[in-house]
Amino acid sequence: MRTRKRQGWHRYINGVTVGTTLTVLFVTLPLLWMISSSFKGPAGIGSDSVLPHNVSTINYTSAFQHNGFGHYILNSVIVAVVSTILVLTLGTMAGYALGRLPMRAKLPVMVTLLMISVFPAIAVIVPLFLIMKDLGWLNSYQALIVPYTAFNLPFAIWILRNYMLGIPKEMEETARIDGAGPITTLWKIIIPQARPGLFTAGIFTFTACWTEFLMAISFNSVNAYRTIPVGIALFGSQFTIPYGTIFAASAAAAVPIAVLVLVFRKSVVSGLTAGAVKG
Amino acid sequence: MATSVSAAPPTRGGPAGASEVVGRPDAHRKRMARLGWMFTSPALLFIGLVTLFPIGFSVLLSFENVNVTANGFSLNGLTTANYSLVLGNSTWHYALGFTVGYTIITVLAEVVIGTLIALVLERMVRGRGWMMALLLIPWSLVTVISAELWKYIYDPTYGFADGLLHTLGLGSPVILGSNVSAIIALMVADVWKTTPFVSIIVLAGLVMLPGEIYEAAEVDGATGWTTFWKITFPLLRPTIALAVLFRVLQAFGLFDLPFVLTQGGPGTATTSLAVLGYQATFNDYKYGPGAAVATTTALLVVLGCFAFLKVFRSQVGEEDAG
Repeated sequence: MRTRKRQGWHRYINGVTVGTTLTVLFVTLPLLWMISSSFKGPAGIGSDSVLPHNVSTINYTSAFQHNGFGHYILNSVIVAVVSTILVLTLGTMAGYALGRLPMRAKLPVMVTLLMISVFPAIAVIVPLFLIMKDLGWLNSYQALIVPYTAFNLPFAIWILRNYMLGIPKEMEETARIDGAGPITTLWKIIIPQARPGLFTAGIFTFTACWTEFLMAISFNSVNAYRTIPVGIALFGSQFTIPYGTIFAASAAAAVPIAVLVLVFRKSVVSGLTAGAVKG
Repeated sequence: MATSVSAAPPTRGGPAGASEVVGRPDAHRKRMARLGWMFTSPALLFIGLVTLFPIGFSVLLSFENVNVTANGFSLNGLTTANYSLVLGNSTWHYALGFTVGYTIITVLAEVVIGTLIALVLERMVRGRGWMMALLLIPWSLVTVISAELWKYIYDPTYGFADGLLHTLGLGSPVILGSNVSAIIALMVADVWKTTPFVSIIVLAGLVMLPGEIYEAAEVDGATGWTTFWKITFPLLRPTIALAVLFRVLQAFGLFDLPFVLTQGGPGTATTSLAVLGYQATFNDYKYGPGAAVATTTALLVVLGCFAFLKVFRSQVGEEDAG
């Protein structure tokens, strides 16, 4: 890391502090405004005051009691948790094999996976919609769990494979000499070592499921199966936009994920940079 | 692309007992390879069935006369009508141009701003971890929520954006009401949400650069500007290229933001290819043309992927050889 000695006022006002301040303002101002607006009463919405004059929870009551936002959160949790478990299970097995077992054709498999992980969802919306319509799967949990698992698996396999590559070979050899089968080795030796990778892949999958919108609105538009993004997008009517309700719901949906991401920031950063920096 | 899935040999038998472990090395290797495919095939089958199969089906649909029936759909023969309808349609021409232009401008802006932020963060002595955490918040935010947030900011009655423009002496336009300002507004919202992603990737690349080169440059009396263009940027190019490709492919699927913020309007000013495909399918029930839009979009993405592949091949190939 480079450091420069700064003297006089340059110690306090320089490119770094100015740039940092601008970045902080750029990122946080819209968010803080949203959270503050969610606590404003009907008269306060639209006023230019930064903080609410009278703190009111009327928007939260509207979101949760009158608009059933709690049920959307439940739907999102079910879909995201089940998809994440499926991704981690299938992804660990595949990541282990592609990282550590002597297979042919690893390169084409990994490249295909990489391509799929960046494929825009719109390319499969029409066929998946028709297939699900045929299967009677529209407006159900599996309508989202199945595609979310498939679309998040490729990236998870990449991350897990990169972590598995880094585990020393000797540990596996020792287990083999001790008479452990491959499944025991995977369970007892590899998985504990690859835990940071599992964390990263898990957070990524969960966040992706939590935020996905196109499939959710295409396959599960009925009220009972709406997830958070669909619920928020469909609040209100064509003529009035209930911003207060929307922001209360948004804050309730965004804060848990923001906390999760802040707590696990190291895993998230290492996952984001998994492609950029050699694993 | 489907070949990689079918390349898996049929998996026979379970993992062998421990007694066989001390066998001939290549017999062991062979067994381990079979085990590898056994472990990989559930994931590959799942991915293949839910992503590659529908893509193939979508290509078929795009050449079919699709009729919607009460509880499903029927295919009534091959046709190229879907493509002639889509390719000759001025809305599609516009959506293609809009999506390409939007992708180029936003990704360019994100890379410039993102790199600047990364350069600042790299020089931070304390609190860099927290700044990175802060940058993760927009990244983790549901895009629909950020779209609602910006809709509020742009709202002529409630928002502060028009007041800000007025103060800057730019008049007081209805921001989402005219084509150009709606497109700019959409881009600003996109840059806000995704620039942090770019800066985190670039920062990771910056931190990995060898420090000695900079010491040498400083000894030689190079200025900051020269150092950046002569040393930092060339070394950083692979990282930036990667961030660009990731973002280009993502931006090309643009949907959530215009769907909520502008509904593709005013008129069709912010109708991206994904919004057009969605509207054709779910508003107009035109599955054939919808599939044609999806297929042409996918084709363009595949072309983009080949560029992606070029950057990645060296990296993957090296590890694979070991």
